[in-house]
Amino acid sequence: MTEEVILRVKDLRTYFKTDEGTVKAVDGVSFDLHKGETLGIVGESGSGKSVTNLSIINMIPSPPGKIVGGEVLFMDADLLAMPANKIREIRGNKISMIFQDPMTSLNPFLRISTQMTETIILHQGLGKDEAKAKAIEMLKLAGIPAPEKRIDQYPHQFSGGMRQRVMIAMSLSCNPEILIADEPTSALDVTIQAQILDLMKDLTARLGTAVILITHSLGVVAGMCDTLCVMYAGRVVERGATDAVFADPKHPYTQGLIKSVPRLDVASGNRLSSIRGQPPNVIDLPDCCPFYPRCDKAMDICKRKYPAVSRFDDGRSVACWLYSEEKLP
Amino acid sequence: MSTNIGQAVNEFNQQVAAVSLWADAWRRLRKNRMALLGLWVVGAFAIITLAAPILPIYDYTSQEMTHINLPPSLKSAGSIAIQKVEKRIVELKGLVDGGREDLRPEMDKIRAELESVKADVAKNPKSSKVYLLGTDYLGRDMLARTIYGGRISMMVGIIGTITAVLIGIIIGAIAGYAGGRLDNFLMRIVDIIYGLPYMLIVIILMAMFHKDGASSIVILFVAIALVSWLTIARVVRGQIISLKNAEFIEAARSMGAGTGRIIFRHLIPNTLGVIIIFATLSLPSFIMSESFLSFLGLGVSAPAASWGTLVSEGVQGMELYPWRLLVPALAMTIFLFAMNFLGDGLRVALDPQSKNRT
Amino acid sequence: MTKFIIRRLLSLIPTMFVIVTLSFFLIRFAPGGPFSAEKKVPAQVLQNLMKKYHMDESLGRQYLRYFGEILRGDLGPSFRYKDMTVNALIKQSMPNSMLLGTLSLALAVALGIAVGIVSALKQNKWQDYTAMSLAVVGISVPLFVIGPLLQLVFAMQLKWLPTSGWITDRAGLKTLIMPVITLSFPYFAYIARMSRASILEVLRSDYVRTARAKGLKESTVIGKHVLKGALLPIVSYLGPAFSGIITGSIVVETIFLVPGVGKIFVQSALNRDYTLIMGEVIVYSLILIVMNFVVDIVYGFLDPRIAYK
Ligand SMILES: Nc1ncnc2c1ncn2[C@@H]1O[C@H](COP(=O)(O)OP(=O)(O)O)[C@@H](O)[C@H]1O
Ligand SMILES: [Mg+2]
Repeated sequence: MTEEVILRVKDLRTYFKTDEGTVKAVDGVSFDLHKGETLGIVGESGSGKSVTNLSIINMIPSPPGKIVGGEVLFMDADLLAMPANKIREIRGNKISMIFQDPMTSLNPFLRISTQMTETIILHQGLGKDEAKAKAIEMLKLAGIPAPEKRIDQYPHQFSGGMRQRVMIAMSLSCNPEILIADEPTSALDVTIQAQILDLMKDLTARLGTAVILITHSLGVVAGMCDTLCVMYAGRVVERGATDAVFADPKHPYTQGLIKSVPRLDVASGNRLSSIRGQPPNVIDLPDCCPFYPRCDKAMDICKRKYPAVSRFDDGRSVACWLYSEEKLP
Repeated sequence: MSTNIGQAVNEFNQQVAAVSLWADAWRRLRKNRMALLGLWVVGAFAIITLAAPILPIYDYTSQEMTHINLPPSLKSAGSIAIQKVEKRIVELKGLVDGGREDLRPEMDKIRAELESVKADVAKNPKSSKVYLLGTDYLGRDMLARTIYGGRISMMVGIIGTITAVLIGIIIGAIAGYAGGRLDNFLMRIVDIIYGLPYMLIVIILMAMFHKDGASSIVILFVAIALVSWLTIARVVRGQIISLKNAEFIEAARSMGAGTGRIIFRHLIPNTLGVIIIFATLSLPSFIMSESFLSFLGLGVSAPAASWGTLVSEGVQGMELYPWRLLVPALAMTIFLFAMNFLGDGLRVALDPQSKNRT
Repeated sequence: MTKFIIRRLLSLIPTMFVIVTLSFFLIRFAPGGPFSAEKKVPAQVLQNLMKKYHMDESLGRQYLRYFGEILRGDLGPSFRYKDMTVNALIKQSMPNSMLLGTLSLALAVALGIAVGIVSALKQNKWQDYTAMSLAVVGISVPLFVIGPLLQLVFAMQLKWLPTSGWITDRAGLKTLIMPVITLSFPYFAYIARMSRASILEVLRSDYVRTARAKGLKESTVIGKHVLKGALLPIVSYLGPAFSGIITGSIVVETIFLVPGVGKIFVQSALNRDYTLIMGEVIVYSLILIVMNFVVDIVYGFLDPRIAYK
């Protein structure tokens, strides 16, 4: 991991206009991704993880969604300000994505070969046969047995885990700078999850690809990620190196999350603690810390204003009034 | 918005959406302007046709040979007749003044006629009748006929729907709940009847049992209902099978509820949404089927008339008397439009899968 | 594959069997039918009739005989048109109905899909609103209103087209225009709405999101990834659409005086010409069943997820 920042997300805001009101799905998210780094984004479902990442490659369904503010700098170019044809050259080529549900993410009506080679032909300008050879090579790397035969099959002839391997092969086939994996294992059997994660880790390390790994499992983050962003209600509440955050979680929400992970090294028998209450829906939230109703350490100020981000020496940043310099009455 | 008394609100003053399915559906339906308009129109049609006997309209069967094929008008039939003669006189006068002396006798003759027409009109109390939407080829009031035609069409639609829904629910529920052989057998029957050309069967039944008078309407109900319960039966069966193993049914069973009780107390309410959607969508299709048959002369018979009969009668003289076609056609079209919008709206409102769609 | 086709073919037998059986008993026992007591027929005529229809045999034998004749494709004589067989009447009129029906279905499918695609891609723009308003009209307004209105406007008022008639008339092919438009309108409307809804659904699907994330052009996404999946439901709708076209053609042929099976069907229903009615129903059912069968097979070929094993 070098110090070179290849992706810088600055104050990203993505809102959805719905019948019920404006959903502030992502509301001021910032983070940096370094070359070759693996960044984890964790948070409960609905906290805006997927929307953050779709916003990065400017693929928010619009309407109802709209990116209302912020910048996404990829190698110093703002992806959000790019014309459609320019950003298409980046999607699938420099930045590629894997989605949660491998059963629905592949087109059931097209052969694997068609779906894999179209990306390679498009971005690498290879001919049909070369593209197919490359696709077979990628499938082999992804651990698909007999790829020469399998490549001519349709998605329904693959199991879920195998399909996710195909997705990984496909997303890495153009040797991207960044791989965004949105809960790549949530829909898979537990036994297969580890295999897929190992495969991802192995391949991206080999190719030097930076990864943004979205997950709601802290266990996955601990095993895979160099750095970590914790999201809550459309905002990043804590950010820092994975080890540091695990050793000393600062935000009460992060603390709650870490406490709720079952640990093998601590004597069982203690009940797992879980965070009480429900996450708020992010429609027309007033200016406050959205976590305060569930927070043990809530103060008066938490109900009135969203906390500013406090930075620590080790590069950590936390959005919580507990650490704020700015003490309000 | 911030002080919604009586509505559940969380710490952030956000409404908590724990409303019932029905309240939720109604809320969504209310937002759909076309569906609401449809609801209003359907409601207005229903009220008008229900209240037809006490509305100040003429008898829809009474024929007035002196008033045949009158166009829609706000004036009375008598003054229309007088006006017609007067217009002719003015025309002739213009010609005569322009030098056509040969037409003068004609003009005088018609002048004399005018007097007798006026006398007739004064003598005949029926001349004061006003036909807002004109009359048909037997001098019957189109307004009354259209309203009563709607009564019959809507009745066919409603009774047909109710019968089809009832048969469908019973057979679907039995098949779905019993499962096994009985289910197989019933579904085979449904499949076979599905394979038959529905409208042709109805036509055959109508041809066979079609007689004059009221009984033909009954036959029509039976014929339409007999072949139209299939869809509902399939839907109900599917719903029941998927619900059968749901937890709350298990709970009811463990508390000692019997089979019939379980079906009617738990399963039917759960399939109600689907049934309502199907009912609103099949009501217009029954009306269309009935009108279709009546148009072919195989539906209700005179003197009763449905919209289909009226349209079919209107077609006969549409070149000269277009209102005879347009009035019932428009009434029917507006109603079917409204039903369709309402049905679509209900489908969106009641379909749980569409809940989070924007 | 062949196994599937054979199984599917075999499953058609019960339906056909029911239809033929039904038709036999209807002809035999229908009120107002040739054999009902309602009619006062001279004894001699009755005897001839009895002989012709083998009334002297037992019911079972009559049924078997009837069945055998139908299997051989003989639908028997018409009761009303004394010198005509049902076969001859249908043979005469079927080509006209087929021409009208196929043209209408083709028009409905081609226009419906085209309009559906435009509507979906221009969702909530004026193109979409116009197309969907037209579709609502097509679904809500019955054929027998649309037909006469077209006649009123285009034949009687504007005098652009002949009011009625068939291609063998002097007006020739022009006579096809209004019947085909009328008959295809509702199915055009359904197909347009269906393909729009189905395209919009596929556009929201995960695999289209994947395709976009790969950097494909929108036109490639639509042409390569969206349309195939989105238009498959249209294929399975072709069966019901064809059935509807058959029913609709009864009205359309009546309105536009097309010498087709539909027109004869109405006549025979009004005349209670039972052998003719049932002959037509058998032929119609056969067409429908074969059509549904073909649609199933075609669907199976188009959808790779369906494997005939
Ligand atoms: N197409 C959409 N329309 C409306 N709201 C949406 C849409 N997509 C996402 N949202 C809302 O955005 C919020 C964040 O969603 P998401 O990013 O998918 O969460 P997650 O962290 O589970 O990936 C949720 O409240 C969700 O309801
Ligand atoms: Mg997500």
